[in-house]
Amino acid sequence: MFKGEKNMARLRRLDFLLIALIYIAFLPVIGKLKLIDFMIFTIFVLSFNLLYGFMGRLSFGHMLYLGIGSYAAALSSVYLSTNPLIIILCAITAGLLVGVILGPVVSRTRGACFALINMAFNQVGYFLVVSACAGITGGEDGLAAQAAPLGFFNLQDSNIMFGFTLFCLIFVFFVMKKLIASPYGVLLKGIKENENRVRFLGYNTYFFKCLTFCISTMIAALAGALWMFNFSYVTPSFIDPGRNVEVVFAALIGGPGSLYGVLIGGGIYMAISNYLASYITRWEMFLGIILLILVFRFPKGLWGVLADKFGKAGKGQVVEK
Amino acid sequence: MTDQIILEARGVTKVFKGLTAVAEVDYRLIKGQVAGVIGPNGAGKSTFFNLLTGLYTPTEGKVVFFDQDITKVPPDQRVVMGLGRTFQLVSVFNSLTVLDNLVLSITRFTPYYHNKSKFFFADRTNSFIKENCIGAMETVGIQEKKGLKTSGLSYGDKRKLEIAMALSLKPKVLLLDEPFAGLSDTEIDEIVHLINKIKEGLSIVIIEHKVSKLLNLVEKLSVMHEGRLIFEGKPQDAVSDREVRRVYWGEKDESSAIKC
Repeated sequence: MFKGEKNMARLRRLDFLLIALIYIAFLPVIGKLKLIDFMIFTIFVLSFNLLYGFMGRLSFGHMLYLGIGSYAAALSSVYLSTNPLIIILCAITAGLLVGVILGPVVSRTRGACFALINMAFNQVGYFLVVSACAGITGGEDGLAAQAAPLGFFNLQDSNIMFGFTLFCLIFVFFVMKKLIASPYGVLLKGIKENENRVRFLGYNTYFFKCLTFCISTMIAALAGALWMFNFSYVTPSFIDPGRNVEVVFAALIGGPGSLYGVLIGGGIYMAISNYLASYITRWEMFLGIILLILVFRFPKGLWGVLADKFGKAGKGQVVEK
Repeated sequence: MTDQIILEARGVTKVFKGLTAVAEVDYRLIKGQVAGVIGPNGAGKSTFFNLLTGLYTPTEGKVVFFDQDITKVPPDQRVVMGLGRTFQLVSVFNSLTVLDNLVLSITRFTPYYHNKSKFFFADRTNSFIKENCIGAMETVGIQEKKGLKTSGLSYGDKRKLEIAMALSLKPKVLLLDEPFAGLSDTEIDEIVHLINKIKEGLSIVIIEHKVSKLLNLVEKLSVMHEGRLIFEGKPQDAVSDREVRRVYWGEKDESSAIKC
């Protein structure tokens, strides 16, 4: 079809190996624990980007779904079982439940309304965690929780945790890639551009929007569970609506609408927030400047710039309107 | 041939904040018919279409499709029932490739849609989907443009793509909202040719401004004015109808020539 398309397709099939190699290559530079953090955050950005990059719905309350996952994981480890697999299952189920409950409401909206309604729910969730349900969640102090080892699968061992997080990242990436390449992926992009037109092709867009929302909340909850494993505690900062800006930043840096862009964006955002902060006290100001440059000069993000420059428009690439 | 009524509007009225856009329109489309609806700007033609296809719900009246009341049926369900349409301002997905535009419309009515594992996880560039898409492109004659971004197509090609998308929904009734608007004369002739090619086994309603192009194309012509149907009958009779000439060509003097 296109020039070089076949070679690119072959390369793209191996991209998960590249992701693993890059993260392993950075091990001596950044350190295991930080890299685990990077990867979890990237999973979170992937879940956010499914809504924003592909379906065109900016959720400004995505921390809620991450936090739900974290708290569900912590609570299930305290009250139910310390088996890590059960904990993860509980977290994902909690994410799904929230998606099923809130999805029908938020999916009716778009644009600013969608962003704000997500944020409103996030505020509610934050309030519940900090004060209304403080008896269970530990309020401001949070909750200490751990997963017990399951044979060799000991998530308190940082090597195992690194491997498992990397596996999760690649798995989520792989699923996303499949989804985006399928007819469903085109449907999402269609909804992004002109939802009404998609309805006139015979699709019940409302159903698909709810469904996409649920997929997104489930993946965010998975990231939340991993975060809980990594820190062995949860605090209200895991569900803090003020931190929503992080995930939006990360998606914009890398390039929303492209999976590779999200991987790059997640990594770069974490690098900036980890390292710039130790040199510059008010590093957020520079982040603001970077964002301004991005929005005005490179709306397709870093990956968009790279793809344009080398003429290899990736499949997950957003096409300029 | 029995004259089965396939699509019917019964006393359909739409009021927008006190403005009556469509007033008590009774309309019947007979199976296999190619019908035209003309009328000056603001006559309520597009609103009427939107009522038929479900973008708006009528303030009063009923829409009946195959003896079934579909007044409250949402647009996507109407498409599934067999009511396809195009839009006045050509409406394709500019951010997608030409091929992807067709992937979206075609997969809805293939087993791919009902087999969810395929719909969500199958590669959309597989040979089954591709063959179907290329078949649809060949019908309208845009197969050379399959890899292009839709935003790079000419307006005429976008119009053809839109018709191909509407056809891939396997409609029983096709509603074309001003298919000639913004096209050159050659492009209009191509579209006319295309409509003649596809009309077999299909019932078509065309809204249009350019009356001259419709005269030889349609079997029935209706004229709308200020939300009402003021004429219905053979296209030749429409141009000689005094009331039609008055509202459509602004004629006061019956003897002056028709300029269409």
